[in-house]
Amino acid sequence: MFKKILIANRGEIAVRIQRACRELGIETVAVFSEADRQALHVRYADEAYPLGPAPSRDSYLRGDKIIDIARKCGAEAIHPGYGFLAERADFAAACADAGLVFIGPKPSSIAAMGDKAAARATVAKAGVTVVPGTEGQGALRDEELLALAPKIGFPLLIKATAGGGGKGMREVKTLEEMPDLLQSARREAEAAFGDSNVYLEKLVEGAHHVEFQILADQLGNVIHLGERECSIQRRHQKLIEESPSPTLGNNESLRRRMGEVAVQAARSVDYTNAGTIEFLVDNDCNFYFLEMNTRLQVEHPVTEMVTGLDIVAEQIRIAYGLPLSHRQEEIRWRGAAIECRINTEDPYNNFVPSAGRITLTQMPTGPGVRVDTGVHIGYEVTPYYDPLIAKLIVWGETRTQAIVRLRRALEEYRIAGVRTNIPFHQSMMATYPFLTGNYDTRFVEEQFPSIDAAENRELYLDIAALLAVLVAHRETERRSQVYSRPVRRSNWKWAACPDRPRR
Amino acid sequence: MKYIAEIDGLEFLLEILDEHHVRFGKEIIEVDLAAVSGQPLYSLLANGESYEGYVYTDEDVLQVLLLGQFFSVRVMDEREKRLRTSGLVGAASGEFTLKAPMPGLIVAVQVEEGQQVEKGQILVILESMKMQNELRAPRSGKVARIRVKPGESVEQKQTLLNIV
Repeated sequence: MFKKILIANRGEIAVRIQRACRELGIETVAVFSEADRQALHVRYADEAYPLGPAPSRDSYLRGDKIIDIARKCGAEAIHPGYGFLAERADFAAACADAGLVFIGPKPSSIAAMGDKAAARATVAKAGVTVVPGTEGQGALRDEELLALAPKIGFPLLIKATAGGGGKGMREVKTLEEMPDLLQSARREAEAAFGDSNVYLEKLVEGAHHVEFQILADQLGNVIHLGERECSIQRRHQKLIEESPSPTLGNNESLRRRMGEVAVQAARSVDYTNAGTIEFLVDNDCNFYFLEMNTRLQVEHPVTEMVTGLDIVAEQIRIAYGLPLSHRQEEIRWRGAAIECRINTEDPYNNFVPSAGRITLTQMPTGPGVRVDTGVHIGYEVTPYYDPLIAKLIVWGETRTQAIVRLRRALEEYRIAGVRTNIPFHQSMMATYPFLTGNYDTRFVEEQFPSIDAAENRELYLDIAALLAVLVAHRETERRSQVYSRPVRRSNWKWAACPDRPRR
Repeated sequence: MKYIAEIDGLEFLLEILDEHHVRFGKEIIEVDLAAVSGQPLYSLLANGESYEGYVYTDEDVLQVLLLGQFFSVRVMDEREKRLRTSGLVGAASGEFTLKAPMPGLIVAVQVEEGQQVEKGQILVILESMKMQNELRAPRSGKVARIRVKPGESVEQKQTLLNIV
């Protein structure tokens, strides 16, 4: 097995990867920007080296520097986590050139799936159904896209070919508004990926986002670990993920077919390591390939909770050249798991990012609860990085038990210093569509914040009034004391004063 | 000390009798309030019932976050209440100041000084935490003064421009 691995990431995912390394007896090397000197991933690591200033392009995106550090400190492999360099074929290739193992797929697979338009063409050739949209490859100009749009039909989506995480994505309802939206999508894609190329895809309405976790070793074995439902999204950013998917429910034949197609899609690009095949499922149980994420996903813990596997440990074993720990028929799913992404966004102020210093964090624990986080008291939430500060994952024997646990855990979770979206999750856990599992990708934008007219609100009006008045009164008292209190030393201070008259 | 708390259009009359007793309507409630680790997080015991909530001050209202619900509470003492009902305070001023809702980088300023803007029109694009945020006009008006340029970094609550 590897003796030392460099983790080219930060935050909760860097800590998560370190945990797998520790359990495998592998030494860890952290890298960090100037903003992250005190971060957990630096303090948990066996070795840590600085990268440069806070902005990602000067630190976590400096592949050259990272490879240099890995060679100097004797690391044999690099784990990229998610985001940053995780889906950069050039970085994976540079690692190989430097004699380092990139813990992920081959550069050719990343390239094949990384260009979203090319990926659609590849899997379509392998017989996998894709969402209708602009076919083929290459950069299309605005005029060409505007000409193709009516053929695809509205509403449609503009998506960045280098895309991910909803960046550079715009929803278009009419041809008239399309030129402006193309411009803003290109601008955002350029800023996020350094590539302003976009393509079009039909917007499947009332769709469910269901993805399959894939593991593939270097010996040609490919298995899937079942699905995750990720339909709770806002601005195409996932907020809640769960497994099993309520959309698939008891439809085992659909689940089996989708699993097979996922494996087939991975094989079509000769895939190795962990990856995710995203599908859209419509209300008639038709499913379409959306894209493949050639990396570890944010929401991987959901699958770990229901399968009992450690996906990061599997990634490392695969990269080392070992066969998969399990065959497909050995994979068993047990119970239900749900993950809430805890972001520093204020749900009561249009989800505006909230920056600041964390002054208190009290994490939920107890049966069936897992928290993956990289923050601590004194941690500074900066505008440089992603607003995700923690993931709360719960497991229950049934979906109902998981929801009950999640409600309990969300109420236990206390964070002060920044605003978080925890109350949003609490509201979601009280909605009928979520409780019954009848929700689609439109749910958040169409129904929140109107769902804030929550159950039992009137019961707590009294308590809210009482709490507010007591705090306001305390503030008033404190202020008047500041102005009126006469300057007087305490007797102790006076007794200790060196120039007091002594006998 | 008597206070009026206004939530969801309802008014509650409270009187602080001493540190541990509050008259709430006709009832007298035994209370104990403790700030948790000096944070805007409060533990409240009211007649033995235990609650915990965040209380933030936002200009003239208190934002209470309790059991996953958000309450905007206006707390007034009797004098303030009289002033407010007589209409002496709170008259809306004509000018709107666009402030940065978060720290970030100005990507684009899409209006010019003196330009007439419509409600909902994009004024400034601010990048923060990898997302581009379009800041829009809350009402129609004329752009008075622009205080930022593209490429500039701004702090939270920094004034970006004014609309009159």
